[in-house]
Amino acid sequence: MRKVANLPGWTARLLLAALLSIVATHASACKGVASPGGSAKPAALASEPNVTFKDLDGNNVALSSMKGKVVLVNFWATWCEPCRGEIPILIGLQQKYSGKGFTLLGAAMDDEGKKVVEPFVKTTQFSVAGQPATMNYPIVLGNDDIASQFGGLLGMPTSFLISRDGKIVKKYMGALNENQIVKDVESQL
Amino acid sequence: MKLRKQLGPFVAASALMLAASLGRPAVLFAQESAAPAPASSVVKASTYVSHDPVPRGQEFQVAVVVNILEGYHMNSHKPRESYLIPTTLTPQLPAGFTLADTVYPNGELKKFPFSPDKALDVYTGSVTLRLKLHTEATASIGATSIAATLRYQACNNSACLPPVKLALSIPVQVAAAGTKTKALHPELFSSAGQK
Repeated sequence: MRKVANLPGWTARLLLAALLSIVATHASACKGVASPGGSAKPAALASEPNVTFKDLDGNNVALSSMKGKVVLVNFWATWCEPCRGEIPILIGLQQKYSGKGFTLLGAAMDDEGKKVVEPFVKTTQFSVAGQPATMNYPIVLGNDDIASQFGGLLGMPTSFLISRDGKIVKKYMGALNENQIVKDVESQL
Repeated sequence: MKLRKQLGPFVAASALMLAASLGRPAVLFAQESAAPAPASSVVKASTYVSHDPVPRGQEFQVAVVVNILEGYHMNSHKPRESYLIPTTLTPQLPAGFTLADTVYPNGELKKFPFSPDKALDVYTGSVTLRLKLHTEATASIGATSIAATLRYQACNNSACLPPVKLALSIPVQVAAAGTKTKALHPELFSSAGQK
């Protein structure tokens, strides 16, 4: 202990700087990171994203227009296999909860936009509870600027659960766990 | 000196906290396991040239060794599904060079938690892609650089990173026809290294 107390001034400053740097890094890393289930509270800055998407017909879709509903914004891409894998879960959520004040919003991040997204949405069949189904929820086009309003995306799928008053209440990185998302949606309804 | 004495206990406490926090990354990493790493840290590429110098009129090769972070994969050059983005290596050759062939390694068929019923054709670990090139009689003698673009799209067991176009620059020394040349990196370019 005496040795530490006798450290030269620059060593003390160095240690202090290292400590502050680690604290800052830790605080920053804790913003919007995933918990073991792949979910996390998002960064405070992105708690109420004010974004307007374009749908596949070119119409504006403002997230604020959905206030009053619980919304699950799902960032996905046609080339993303885990995104495709969770679409049956998303279709199931929309089937089960859309009449109860919930909607999904699929934000496609394909660089080619509508050209590849529209045919995929219209023609791709998924098996939901043993029945064939197509995507039954609104699809809009995402981009990096929009994603930055949500705190940015590291990868896809990434989903955000938004409360009835328009605030992000949970962020999910990677493929959704069906039991968890059902529980979380129900907790907001 | 007085300040140093006053700081002493604080520095000692800081040191202890520093030591404690240095032990934290493993825990943090485990908690963040569902979050993908930044795309720039998942794939690293190194380039190698088969000969130095490369005399005019001679064939040579460029190897691009791609190291993929453990826990990640990228689609092979021939993914089984048409919607998946293949790995490609595209050279932008300066005047005096021609491309004879681009050689991609075979991928491996693997199943993932998000695709339990369907095996995907992927690269993992370290893979080597090669450009077979020819130096024409018109190539400028001296140092030059061959540009190439490695395009890939990587995923882990839960999420996918956006597609990336990685710009590569490969320095090549061109010499007059008939100049003595040294074969380099036999582990990459010999027939045994090209298995």
